[in-house]
Amino acid sequence: MLTFVDDKTLQKVAEAFGGEEAVQIVSVLKGVGETTDEEIALKTEIRLNTVRRILYKLYDHSLVGLRRSRDKTTGWFIFHWRLQLDQLAGFILNQKRRVLEKLETRLTYEQAHDFYSCFTEGCKRIPFEDAMELVFRCPTCNKLLMHFDNTDLKASLIERIDVLKEELGE
Amino acid sequence: MPRRNELEYKALTVISNNGNDGVLQSELWRELDATSREGSRIALKLETKGLILREKELYEGRWTYRLYPKRKPASLNSIIDSPCLMCPNDARCGAWGPISPHECRMLTAWILGIDQPEMEEPGED
Repeated sequence: MLTFVDDKTLQKVAEAFGGEEAVQIVSVLKGVGETTDEEIALKTEIRLNTVRRILYKLYDHSLVGLRRSRDKTTGWFIFHWRLQLDQLAGFILNQKRRVLEKLETRLTYEQAHDFYSCFTEGCKRIPFEDAMELVFRCPTCNKLLMHFDNTDLKASLIERIDVLKEELGE
Repeated sequence: MPRRNELEYKALTVISNNGNDGVLQSELWRELDATSREGSRIALKLETKGLILREKELYEGRWTYRLYPKRKPASLNSIIDSPCLMCPNDARCGAWGPISPHECRMLTAWILGIDQPEMEEPGED
């Protein structure tokens, strides 16, 4: 399977999963094909339980695959890990769809409501219907609620949604 | 046969990384250390698979092809700094849940392109 993901993107995905340590783990996996978590820990000098935690996170999204074998002397399981680069493009698409869904939910909400705010740091903005019930007083600081213009927010939302839709070919 | 597949993959990577500028077929084979015969076969194969586009071009008095990727490489750039990407509250985040994109401060900050608030209350109202 030919994938369309470059090294930079792979690095970014790894970074999102577990920062610099995940980048190191992924780069070891990329170089060897299949290896054990213990070997990765040795090569990267990252603690074994951290290596395993990151590998399981990647495994949850099918970005790494896993094979189990049994140690003949101890009887313990040995886990052999491999990078599944063919899953990466799909993972990215899924993440984009998920973010797009959140943005669309937010846009619908922004378009359906008028908001009021006291503009105090830490206080929430209130939809018009709730502000009416509160007699236009902030329930947190009791300051007067003023109209909150969400035009910029809606415009930025639309912009981000359009970018994602274009990338997803929708 | 494995060499062919490996070359195909490498060729596609080089073509993809050049994006809209495309890459000359003659330059590509030099970069991949392949013969022009091998090269043009792989280019044809990639074109047949619908992965690249070949456009005839006259370069230094010789006809060659410029190769363009048909699909853009998958990129995470547009969402890399999105708080939703690795949000620990994702499973509980929904339109009308206690954690929702409606009033998530981190999401608002990302949409507006401003500094994100601390992670202590992601998605909380």
